[in-house]
Amino acid sequence: MTKAVILNKGIIASIIGPTGPEQRRLANKVMEEALNQAALTIQEITFIVATGYGRINVPFADKQFTEITCHARGVVHLFPEARTIIDIGGQDVKGIKIDVSGKVIDFVMNDKCAAGSGRFIEVIADTLGVSLDTVGDFSLQSSHPATISNICTIYAQQEVAASIAEGVPLSDLLAGVHQSLADRICRMVNRLKVEDSVIVTGGGAKNRGLLKALSEQLGHKVLVPEDPLITGALGAALMGKEIVEKARQNNTPLETKERILGAVEIL
Amino acid sequence: MAEERKEAKPKKRMTATKAAASIGPMVKEFITGTLQAKAEGKQKVAYTFIVCHHEEIFRALDVIPVWTENFAGICGAKRDAERFLQRAESLGLSRSLCTYALCGIGFDQWREELGQMPPEAPWGGQVRPDFMISSGQILCDPRSKWYQASQQFMPDVPIYNIDLPYPLFQENRDHREVLGYYHQYIVKQLRGLTAFLEEQTKKKMDYDRLRELVDLSDRTWNLIDETYKLRRAAPCPMGTGDAMNTMVPINFMMATQKAYDFFVDLKKELEEKIAKGEGEVENEKYRLMWGGGLPAWYALNDFNYFNSKGASFPVETTYRMVAPLNEMDLPETKDPIEHLAWRWLGYWTFWYDKAKKRPGSEPDVERLINWIEEYKIDGVVMHEAFSCRTWHVGLIWQLHQLAKIYKPIPVYVIGKNGKKEKVYRELPSLIMESDIIDITSYSEVDTRNKIDAFIETLASIRSNRAA
Repeated sequence: MTKAVILNKGIIASIIGPTGPEQRRLANKVMEEALNQAALTIQEITFIVATGYGRINVPFADKQFTEITCHARGVVHLFPEARTIIDIGGQDVKGIKIDVSGKVIDFVMNDKCAAGSGRFIEVIADTLGVSLDTVGDFSLQSSHPATISNICTIYAQQEVAASIAEGVPLSDLLAGVHQSLADRICRMVNRLKVEDSVIVTGGGAKNRGLLKALSEQLGHKVLVPEDPLITGALGAALMGKEIVEKARQNNTPLETKERILGAVEIL
Repeated sequence: MAEERKEAKPKKRMTATKAAASIGPMVKEFITGTLQAKAEGKQKVAYTFIVCHHEEIFRALDVIPVWTENFAGICGAKRDAERFLQRAESLGLSRSLCTYALCGIGFDQWREELGQMPPEAPWGGQVRPDFMISSGQILCDPRSKWYQASQQFMPDVPIYNIDLPYPLFQENRDHREVLGYYHQYIVKQLRGLTAFLEEQTKKKMDYDRLRELVDLSDRTWNLIDETYKLRRAAPCPMGTGDAMNTMVPINFMMATQKAYDFFVDLKKELEEKIAKGEGEVENEKYRLMWGGGLPAWYALNDFNYFNSKGASFPVETTYRMVAPLNEMDLPETKDPIEHLAWRWLGYWTFWYDKAKKRPGSEPDVERLINWIEEYKIDGVVMHEAFSCRTWHVGLIWQLHQLAKIYKPIPVYVIGKNGKKEKVYRELPSLIMESDIIDITSYSEVDTRNKIDAFIETLASIRSNRAA
């Protein structure tokens, strides 16, 4: 997903749009929507920070930061007590460790395998014919979570299909799938020595079944922002705001790109 | 055929030192030299493995070692390993086995099938050996299994195995109690190797020559140690990227005057750089340690990427297969083979005593801690090559243990309420994941995204420190 947040004293626009191979065009589109929501023109935006895998493909961005820095910044703004962040996205999972002053001190990322990301749930939900929005709640009805032994998404998909044929209840299968993903996430983030407060963000944070499994396996209560998908974009906007404030404080000029939101030709 | 397709050539990596830049032609010369020697038939050529402390015995009997891991690494660095890996896969071998071994086995099978080198073989290809010296040591299992697999295609080529154990670390046991037994055993193994090589070469061992070669290696060991310690300077004059080149004389050319001279030159070059204040990086901001794992040979450019962010690598645990002999307290002996065995044991037990003094430590962790302090390290980078079980298992554990027992000097940070708070600086670490030569496991975009995030983390920690 491509997200945009416009910040003044508070959030004045927040948009979540799709992502695809045409990242530049989608960045423009999401930005346009955010500007419409805030009733602003692009020329009125003081500073723009891009983040995420596609950050270098945002032609109008003045500065880029990785998603690690931006997620941390966004989460600490919402939860000053945060010490551990787990971001569960469709493409990867990130674990971030924060110190008392809200700075990133360590991180881990899984970007190699779909089995360790939100994509795992998406694929299984699709196989089971259950909508992604309902898999979490559905899994909470389970009393005997199934064991999913395959760690490969494709093999797990086959395993789940075979289990349906054997008559294993859907809720048990979904609970097993959530436990399997939570287990992989925990193994990765435990390297950071998880401390309270633990904040979960990303699409995975909207899944109550996954949050339950994660909390149980981590042995920590997990907190979720009101809108867990926009913390990275919010962090990017906050980073931009800090840059502007610092420049004003030091009376130094701001280096910005030309403010054009024209059509971008995709080669 | 898919396996005949070659991958795009990688961009050439920039080296900081002239010495490191001279390594490529040196390795090429060595590879072509083995082919020439085989064609002339005057010297025997033998497949073998690095870090076995047997080079002196080879060279004293004029046997040319062919370092099969080195050739696989060359294939990887030239991004030309995939076709050999696919060959091995088509023989029913899993991609998750050691990819050095897979590459070598695939290459051997192809060469034997054709009766000549595979087309466009890197640097002329790997020579057919006269015999193979495997090594059943603790270090890694392909060292004894690889050549057995290759022998299927070369049934006329004999294998001789040497066993090189060392006492594993135990916190509550003095390794010296059993060292004598290990020594006797290793001496017997090396004498067995000597007899095998004498039989193969029809020569008698000249023990005076062997003693001279052992002495040359010892001097080279100490020289390497002195040279590498120069990298403690700030800015650091030479990084791990270069050390992945200078590992060649350490691991493939030991017991040669050329290796000794190489380090004489490198030491001089580093001293000159230090005098001029020249660093690997123009504006050194962060000093990182390569804390383990074999490198991704096809992606050594990533070191340049780190450099472009102001990060230098003053020290690495990988391929620094020497330790200062004057700090080892090795028993005196006039028998060069006995000395080789003592040196072997001295190297592997080098950190044992220090590790015992720090509760919860282990030799590999102790080495990390010592070097973090000596080289003033800001962060640790490790590479988990999926196909190398030897390294893989221990790396994460080492990081865990490091985080658990290492308490660096406390630093003060400004807390949320604006007050100073005393905290122990945690050493950030980055684990990169791919493989030694299997490029299909590597993503430049993901790797560099992780590097960017790691650099931002280092910057964040730096900006957070208060006096």
